[in-house]
Amino acid sequence: MSYLRTIICFATLANLLTVAPSSADDIRFESHVRKIFKKHCWQCHGEEDEVQAGLDLRLVRFMRAGGDSGTVIAETPEESLLYQRLRDGEMPPGETAKLTTEELEIVQQWIVQGAETLRPEPEVVTEAAFISDEERSHWSFQPIQRPAVPYSERQLNPVDAFIRRRLEKVASQHEQVEERTEFVLSPQASAPTLARRLYLSLHGLPPTPKQIESFISVADPGRVIDELLESPRYGEFWAQHWLDTAGYADSEGYNDADTIRSDAWRYRDYVIRCFNEDRAFDRFITEQLAGDELVTSPLNNLSATDAELLTATGFLRMAPDGTGGAVPDAMVARNDTIADTLKIVSSSLMGLTVGCAQCHDHRYDPVSQADYYRFRAIFDPAFDWQQWRTPVKRRVSLYTDAERKQAAEIEAEAVAIEKDRVKKQQEYIKATFEKQLAKLPAEIHEQARKAHQTAAAKRTPEQKSLFQKHPSLNVTAGSLYLYDKPASDRLAEMAEEAKKVRATKPKENYVRALTENGRLPKTHLFFRGNHDQPRQELAPAGLTVVSLSAQSIPDIPVKDEDLASSGRRLALARRLTSPDYPLTARVIVNRIWMHHFGRGLVRTPADFGVLGSEPSHPQLLDWLAAEFMESGWSIKHLHRLILTSQAWQQTPRDSDVLDRVDPENALYAGAAIQRMDAEVVRDSMLQICGKLNLKAGGPPVPVMADRVGRFVVGQENLNAGRPGKKIEMNGEEFRRSIYIQARRSRPLSVLATFDRPVMSPNCDRRRPSTASTQSLLMMNSDLVVEYSRHLADRLAKEQSTRDGQIRRAWELVYCRTPEESELQLAQRFLDEQIALFIEQPQYQPDTKNPPKRSAELESLSVFCQMLFSSNEFLYVD
Amino acid sequence: MKVESDLMHNSPGTRRHLLASGAMSMGTLAAAWFAEQEAIADTKKPALERQTFDTLPKQTEKRASADAMISLWMQGGPSHHDMFDPKPLLEKYDGKPFPGEIKYDNAAQASSKVFASPWKFQKRGQCGMELSELIPHTAGIADEICLIRSMRTGVNNHGQSIRALQSGRVVEGRPSLGSWLTYGLGSEADSLPAFMALIDPGQLPVLGVENWSNGWLPSIYQGTVVRPTEPRILDLTPPAHLKGRVQKRALEFLEQLNARHIADHPGQLDLQARIASYQLAARMQTAATEALDLSRETKATQSMYGIGNPATTEYGSRCLIARRLIERGVRFVQVYTANQLWDSHGSIVGNLPKACQKVDQPSAALVKDLKQRGLLDSTVVHWGGEMGRLPVIQNDAGYNKIGRDHNTYGFSMWVAGGGFRAGHVHGTTDEWGHKAQDDVVNHFDYHATLLHLFGLDHESLTFRRSNQDKTLTDGQPGKVVEQLLA
Repeated sequence: MSYLRTIICFATLANLLTVAPSSADDIRFESHVRKIFKKHCWQCHGEEDEVQAGLDLRLVRFMRAGGDSGTVIAETPEESLLYQRLRDGEMPPGETAKLTTEELEIVQQWIVQGAETLRPEPEVVTEAAFISDEERSHWSFQPIQRPAVPYSERQLNPVDAFIRRRLEKVASQHEQVEERTEFVLSPQASAPTLARRLYLSLHGLPPTPKQIESFISVADPGRVIDELLESPRYGEFWAQHWLDTAGYADSEGYNDADTIRSDAWRYRDYVIRCFNEDRAFDRFITEQLAGDELVTSPLNNLSATDAELLTATGFLRMAPDGTGGAVPDAMVARNDTIADTLKIVSSSLMGLTVGCAQCHDHRYDPVSQADYYRFRAIFDPAFDWQQWRTPVKRRVSLYTDAERKQAAEIEAEAVAIEKDRVKKQQEYIKATFEKQLAKLPAEIHEQARKAHQTAAAKRTPEQKSLFQKHPSLNVTAGSLYLYDKPASDRLAEMAEEAKKVRATKPKENYVRALTENGRLPKTHLFFRGNHDQPRQELAPAGLTVVSLSAQSIPDIPVKDEDLASSGRRLALARRLTSPDYPLTARVIVNRIWMHHFGRGLVRTPADFGVLGSEPSHPQLLDWLAAEFMESGWSIKHLHRLILTSQAWQQTPRDSDVLDRVDPENALYAGAAIQRMDAEVVRDSMLQICGKLNLKAGGPPVPVMADRVGRFVVGQENLNAGRPGKKIEMNGEEFRRSIYIQARRSRPLSVLATFDRPVMSPNCDRRRPSTASTQSLLMMNSDLVVEYSRHLADRLAKEQSTRDGQIRRAWELVYCRTPEESELQLAQRFLDEQIALFIEQPQYQPDTKNPPKRSAELESLSVFCQMLFSSNEFLYVD
Repeated sequence: MKVESDLMHNSPGTRRHLLASGAMSMGTLAAAWFAEQEAIADTKKPALERQTFDTLPKQTEKRASADAMISLWMQGGPSHHDMFDPKPLLEKYDGKPFPGEIKYDNAAQASSKVFASPWKFQKRGQCGMELSELIPHTAGIADEICLIRSMRTGVNNHGQSIRALQSGRVVEGRPSLGSWLTYGLGSEADSLPAFMALIDPGQLPVLGVENWSNGWLPSIYQGTVVRPTEPRILDLTPPAHLKGRVQKRALEFLEQLNARHIADHPGQLDLQARIASYQLAARMQTAATEALDLSRETKATQSMYGIGNPATTEYGSRCLIARRLIERGVRFVQVYTANQLWDSHGSIVGNLPKACQKVDQPSAALVKDLKQRGLLDSTVVHWGGEMGRLPVIQNDAGYNKIGRDHNTYGFSMWVAGGGFRAGHVHGTTDEWGHKAQDDVVNHFDYHATLLHLFGLDHESLTFRRSNQDKTLTDGQPGKVVEQLLA
């Protein structure tokens, strides 16, 4: 099956990638032929040390020179060995890797046309030489230049200006002249709709009726946007977007034990804090990549600022890491953790999928395998796969010297109490023993004292029989309470006191961090990605293709002499946050845009390479990127820009012409309708039903399996492997989803059902589905029934009339007042539901034994459940 | 609905689709819609991004003889010496010390006294398969089954051996067999989950929910629990107070709400799909209720499965449900016995016959019934647990107290249908029935063979995880056992 998929995958790729020449005459080696060889042939015929059949296919002159079987290009394709082997399917070897018909035709035509190159080929074969001009000129490697905003005279929001210009341009090219007027933005959405959209976009929670009222009366979305950005709810929602990209999890993953990461949450709280504070994003990136290299206080005595810097490096510790437990191959596991980390860094910050280059040169993007290992070298002093540290060993204690000293003092105090207690105990035993002895004949006293002083196991038979004869002499630490209750109580008090003293020690907390350990391990290229086959040593560097296009960006040193650490990651951070680095700002801006519009200006947020999509509005993307950097890398500034635009505030599109011409809504002539993310579904239901617990931060709320294996919020309480008594969660079960444990092997069922991904290693964007399990969950699950009942209770408490309850439900769930016809619909429904419930015995009115929930209240619950289940609630429009 | 009819038009017609009520599969619709949406989203460039997963029926590389499976999972370790694997030598040594080396699990109660089976064996069927008097009904299907006497996992305790057989390796957290099959083959179920786990009214088997876990495969491949009592499927049927007209009316109300909403949002595929998804979920409730309703079976069929006889009613009902599910396109059904039912450490003389009585008639009836309905050719039936037992006495405390300890080095199980060879005995244990000797079938060989029958290759049915292509057999040298094939 995977085999079939591979074929399909390759076929599609090939069809789409080989940008078809518009005519046979247009075939160019550089644009059309080279990439075919690069994809199919270079690994064996060029890249690796041993060139198969002595044939290097990287340059045309090498082809002409030929290999062991002589030249491979002749006068005609049919005479050319190169074409013959490809045509007959002998090359490339393997079932799945054949050229497509189109590719084969391109090669054939190229030979027919004389197998020429457009430009002379490089004399010396260097790595840079293998990055062609075509590759270097790929859009995302070009410097970001701030374009002029169109229609400057019209004082438009710049976002709208760019969007409109593109609409007008497409309109002017549209053939049906009478339809050109359709290419405009849609009108602004109604105030309640806008309020709901705004709150859900910034807080992941719907507005309360009061907030909507205030939104309407203020009549200034800009002001409300500012207010929302100041609320802690904002960071709690937006942090999740970043945590997806970072691959946040509360467990190690990788192996099947999926050990819990007890300290990961500090990184989660750090991200929330940064979003709330609008920490400059270049700083945010720097802290995450190299916080440890910025630390100035000693690791065993961290200042609060430095503790935060170390917490930030948790970003580089999010990849699955099985090295703390049993894994099939420890060396593979270590290298996999490094590889996953590089994947996270490159997809989140660099918009490139460098992962393919782990085993061979990237088939599509100009990223060589050497490039990959040079990039890896940046991280090697910290990961140091040959002197690996397991997750436990990598923890950094947050104890300060003062705390450590305080803890030692407290321990000494406790030990003193204990010593005192032992002494007292001896005295009590001795006194009690003497008291007992006094009751016995004097002639045995001496003998008995001696026996009592001897440890029970070492007593002679005579001594033992003495104690058997006079059992009251068995005064021990364990039996003292039988003789002298006050004395034993006093001892217990002392023990308790020692315990209490110990409890006053400051708690020792740890940070999940990445640090270097002083070594500068050598980095080698691993032949075919295999660590057992190290090849040439490589020095740390950023991607060659970027260095070629942006020459002013900082390089990576082997060792920064000004720092205690290698300085490599700090240099990477400086490189990535340099205004001349072409990718970072574009990638970040695109993500923010994607979360607001449901799709990025570049549709593939983690891939700005050849396989990624091109930006629909390149100038807008660059303007936003430039503006973002000039604003001091302020995410909140971006939000304001985007959210105040008409493009974002408009209604969904209503145009048959545009449905036809622009089915993807790539021109943004209307708002997108988006399904709420999993967390938003759960959190919104909780807020609406009045149960949401807004407690912020701290260790995650645990998740457990219920009796049938569904993952629910709860403290596991197993009794011989089976669920025991349910442990009261005291409102913790109602906390926001971001604070619920994200264990890879135990995805909370309600979130998993609504497509919250399991991180492996990260998630570039959510993919909302409409699976039937979502419908079943809304219709039948205990969870939704429970939340709906809470909402019904709330309605009944707040409104005494049924009409009032319906209105209130509409306001809470849909954020608007119901229309008259909707009221009637609801009234009729409730009437009929009540009649149906009353037929059930447990809902029949009974004065002696009133039903637990009346038919009225239960009907109201079902009504609420249907509102929760409906599209108007589950989607943001 | 427009979406639905278009998709139905494109859906692959298969035998099971025709057999079933004709309704479009729930998962299929959702998945197809999703695939379509993805296609719309990325028309220009291919996505080098995480795969999306679905339960659409998949084509296999190889021709498949099987397309569904019912596993009768006998957790605890049925005693092969007493049911499937006669050892005359034990009679000669009965009560005498065992002369060789033995792998005990419970040293405290170990005895080296040989224990000959108290039950008689007899040649059965045309094939002459020797089976004991404990399983007379199984004897009646001897010519349909393939008895493997040389099973081996070679790990010591229940948990590990269960994992070996249920998820391919002894470690925790892996996807179960049913998840792999639904991942590899998709679903042909109309309005039913593809993988269903029929649990016993007693306790869950050892390892509980792990037995039907999707492990690290996407959660759409997780087994859906069919509980032994109502509600049989979680979230599939409404809570009692919503049942029937209450929910029907509620869903009508929901449709009204959604209809008003979509009127303001014309052309929104996602909204349409969700409306369809509720309709299909509602249908699934009906379909599953129908599938689980045994009153629709004739009296004759019911009594064939032992329904009506207190000893067999419960297990017989679940076997019959399994058949009804398979008929409706469910890919994999596993029917569990209670926790440690077969774990005969003591009192084997009294307990083993009871266990046999519970499952013998229903198991045999299932095979006969599938055959008479023409479904046996394409449906694998598996009968077996994670281990067998030792040839010597455990707990030598009187005839009524004695038992046998664990043995994962050699034990028996049977398979039938779906391309397995009928009326055939494969492999042997040594003359003591302790260790598999000739034609040993390790758990990974069994898995390789099983996947082969489904047209899958155990090495190429992979799932990418942590930079590794994981498989059911994962690095173990599994081979297709040709002699097991018809």
